[in-house]
Amino acid sequence: MAVNEANILNRLYFVAGCMFIFGLAVVIKLLTIQYIHGDKYRELADSRTIEDKPIPANRGNVYSVNGNLLATSIPKYDIRIDTKTPKKKIWQEQIGPLCDSLSKYSGRSSSYYRENLRKARAKKNRYYLLARDIGYSDYIRLRDFPLLKLGAFKGGLIVEQTTKREHPMGGISMRTIGYERTDEEGNITRAGLDGAFGEKYLKGVDGHRMKQKIGKGQWKPIKDSNEVEPQDGYDIYTTINVNIQDIAHHSLLEQLEKYDAEHGCVVVMEVKTGEIRAISNLGKSKSGKYYEKRNYAVWESHEPGSTFKLMAVMAALEDKVIDTSTIIDTRSGYKTFYGRGITDTRGYGKISVGTAFEKSSNIGMATIIDDNYSKNPSKFINRLKQWKLHENLNLPIVGEGEPVIPKPGDKIWSRNALPSMAYGYNMQLTPLQTLTFYNAVANDGEMLKPRFLRQVKELDREIESFDKEIRVKKIASDETIKKAQKLLENVVEHGTGRGMYSKYFSMAGKTGTARTDYGDFEKWKKDRKYVSSFAGYFPVENPKYSCIVVIHKPSIKIGLYGADVAGPVFKRIAQKIFTDTPIIDEIESLEVENAAIDKEFQNFYDIANTYLTIMPSVIGLPVMDAMALCENLGLKVKMSGNGVVKSQSIPKGQKVKKNQTIVLELS
Amino acid sequence: MRQTDRHFKFDWITIMLFFMLAGFGWLNILSASHTGEIIDYLSFTEFYGKQLIFIILSVVLIILILSIDAKFYERFSSVIYFASLLSLVGLFVFGKSINGATSWYDLGGMTLQPSEFAKAATALAVAKYVSDLQTDIRQFKHQIRIFIIIVIPAFLILLQKDAGSTLVYGAFFFVLYREGLPKIYLIIGSLLIGLAICALKFGVIITMFISAIIVFGYYFSKKKKSSFLQPIITLVIALIISFLVRFTYDTLLPFHQKDRITIWLSLEKDAAKLEQMKKKAAYNLLESEKAISAGGWKGKGFMEGTRTTGKFVPEQHTDYIFTTVGEEWGFIGSFAVVLVFVLLILRILHLAELQKSQFSRVYGYSVGAILFIHFLINIGMVMGLIPTIGIPLPLFSYGGSGLWGFTILVFIFVKLDSNRINEW
Repeated sequence: MAVNEANILNRLYFVAGCMFIFGLAVVIKLLTIQYIHGDKYRELADSRTIEDKPIPANRGNVYSVNGNLLATSIPKYDIRIDTKTPKKKIWQEQIGPLCDSLSKYSGRSSSYYRENLRKARAKKNRYYLLARDIGYSDYIRLRDFPLLKLGAFKGGLIVEQTTKREHPMGGISMRTIGYERTDEEGNITRAGLDGAFGEKYLKGVDGHRMKQKIGKGQWKPIKDSNEVEPQDGYDIYTTINVNIQDIAHHSLLEQLEKYDAEHGCVVVMEVKTGEIRAISNLGKSKSGKYYEKRNYAVWESHEPGSTFKLMAVMAALEDKVIDTSTIIDTRSGYKTFYGRGITDTRGYGKISVGTAFEKSSNIGMATIIDDNYSKNPSKFINRLKQWKLHENLNLPIVGEGEPVIPKPGDKIWSRNALPSMAYGYNMQLTPLQTLTFYNAVANDGEMLKPRFLRQVKELDREIESFDKEIRVKKIASDETIKKAQKLLENVVEHGTGRGMYSKYFSMAGKTGTARTDYGDFEKWKKDRKYVSSFAGYFPVENPKYSCIVVIHKPSIKIGLYGADVAGPVFKRIAQKIFTDTPIIDEIESLEVENAAIDKEFQNFYDIANTYLTIMPSVIGLPVMDAMALCENLGLKVKMSGNGVVKSQSIPKGQKVKKNQTIVLELS
Repeated sequence: MRQTDRHFKFDWITIMLFFMLAGFGWLNILSASHTGEIIDYLSFTEFYGKQLIFIILSVVLIILILSIDAKFYERFSSVIYFASLLSLVGLFVFGKSINGATSWYDLGGMTLQPSEFAKAATALAVAKYVSDLQTDIRQFKHQIRIFIIIVIPAFLILLQKDAGSTLVYGAFFFVLYREGLPKIYLIIGSLLIGLAICALKFGVIITMFISAIIVFGYYFSKKKKSSFLQPIITLVIALIISFLVRFTYDTLLPFHQKDRITIWLSLEKDAAKLEQMKKKAAYNLLESEKAISAGGWKGKGFMEGTRTTGKFVPEQHTDYIFTTVGEEWGFIGSFAVVLVFVLLILRILHLAELQKSQFSRVYGYSVGAILFIHFLINIGMVMGLIPTIGIPLPLFSYGGSGLWGFTILVFIFVKLDSNRINEW
């Protein structure tokens, strides 16, 4: 068969055709990879081997006003071992030493580890936990243990770093310092200051970098330029004073325990600035112990009871419808208003407004307000509104309770509303809102917004600082303020709070005892529940701190009145602040004078400076000094014996050369 | 005067396509191999720096090749062939192992891979023998001789554990076919491949069933019936081959090769297991497919591919260089590369057909076929069209020996082609 033209051409076409078909196949396959399976591959690629890994920013610290650390983030490590990774030989060689090291570290027996690690390896456990939540220094220590120090690929070491928020002050004011927590579903709970200022200051900005998975949960960065550096969060300096906080916390706790109360709170505020120095909230748990459960001071809006009489009487005083000396009839302790009876603990008869306040007469207060405002209740309400009692404090902390001040036309408004409000019922305030008003009275009428934050810093650089915020410039005339201050002072001196009186330091304030949970009155009568409170300030002459104590549902068998239950907490805080606030302890710097040492040093110094090329006498010098002198001259020192130089081979006064040898005999 | 004229007879299209591929290849090596900032493009410690030096040196090589008289290559082809064989044998004594293959001479700081040059030498020898007036390719005796010429270097390379390069010698099949090798070889070859794939994919019983239908169908359709033994014997041979294929696959093949075939033909029935296997045995393939798919239509742009700069694809600067094209230049870039390759190969085949001398024609065919096989195996492997076989992409993959091997291969042909006019 001849290879003719047509045949050859066919063959050429065949070869070219093969090529063409293959070219086509390549293009089709390209399209499949890129388009038809593109998503699959991209997903595979993204999920398996490359990830834009966030680099979490360090959360800022929370400090107290005096610079104590209240909350900080510290790295914690979980150490695990991939028992499958180490080669058999390495494993057998090093497992013993590793178990011994672990045993020394944890106190568990070496055989315990040996047994468990053997089992883990038998089961091919690639994620066996050795230590959880350990600190950095422990991590460094464990990392150097036998086997583990071979690293991830030979020793199977797995290190997982997490950041834990720690409260160095422990449970004290934990609720106020707060936290930010994310649950499995990604819901974020932000509580307290940490939560309130987290997003804005503490959080920082997470960085991120592209990382490639290189196996065993290890990721290597791809390139530096992809990286966004994390910016650490700012530190916040709160207004909390750790000492006062400590006093407040323990005083409250003691009282809650004594009265077996359900819960309570105490807030201490600096009069001139509105800065919160202490805030403690304790609630009884099922086990009967008290914990920082909720931020009652901020959250719990309730009928304040008698502490509100201050607002009522000040409204009347400011409107000049009464004076402190105005006489009112409180009858025999029982009076009906619009068909509803109001009682006092006892009948006071005809008394002055001042006395009615001191004795905390409900009838007295109801009479004053009802007599003067029943025709125009709005006048009274507007006065309260002028003091912004109907508005919340607009705190940065989430969950502030809303005040309730009814006005004519409201659902809860009735003819009885006005006399009820006079002694703190039919309305609601949070403890902090009440305190804000008391602080204004102490601060000669300037109402300040309570503040928790003083400064925001980035290391030492100030980012933002906060000054006092005026809420109401002047709540009343100086005359009214003076009268109110006197009234509060009298409560402690010879009113309901006289039990708290101390001749060593002065306090002013108002007791409060309010019924609570009395919706079903018949039921309430069987199991009476009260809220005891005390709000005030100290010292009277030049008020420094205002403070409110509210204790809910004390055991009435032990006591119920504000003066008995809440008052002592107030008193203890005042007393402690003024007697126990530590004066800064200074330890005098320790300076031990030792004439002998000084003299010796002087001796050495003199010789060294005098003799530069001439051999000095080193006889009688301690060996260290003699050696130093000789070596400085460039001599080689040989010596025998111990102690002080007895003789020297180069006599005094002789010129010395470098590298000459000198023999010192010591005794 | 005459000298100047001759310079312009070089086929500039081939030269242009050649440098387009080498240049674009270098850009991709640059992208795949650079770590951090590029300070020195001629850095001898970086792959891209070395490759650029190789390219520059290849220009020197080209000038050298083109300045030698064309007749030299034909006359000295046997000498070149035997020298090449010697260099391959020498590896058993002086060779250096890289990645398990003993294919390199260590020349102090750089390595040389003689098998890359042996292709050109073998092509010259084949061309010489086939073009000999005494040779009749239709005679079995001559077929055997040609076969021996091809198989000796191929076998030597196989002994060095470089299976990929050995397969390249299959390219000569195309050449011989073009030169008149009887069709029966093609038919038998195709049938054998079909039989092997069928045996692996569907098992021996089904394969035999299909074979029986084909064989008897052919037998009964023939007008002139020969002995009935013929189809029976054919079937028995087919059965033996099927068994041999299965046996080789099941027991003889090393694990990694077996896995490659398993994945290629999807022999594992359990999808999850196959997926698992893919992750392990076909890690390269999976990574390369991921990289190519990441490119999309237009690609991520030069030096922008995260999978490329992240060094995800193993051996990306060498055998898997096409993935860089896929990721950074996308479908458009990949298509362009395929197009340029096909154009280069077709151009060479076209020029080969134009040759008056059979030696030049056979050699030209060899060049085209070798380029094609390389292209087919490499691209096919990178995209999973064929099982993984390590072989560089001509002019693209990093490597001095490879680049120079192809330079010599192609430019000897360019020289021969330029001499076309002077023939007779």
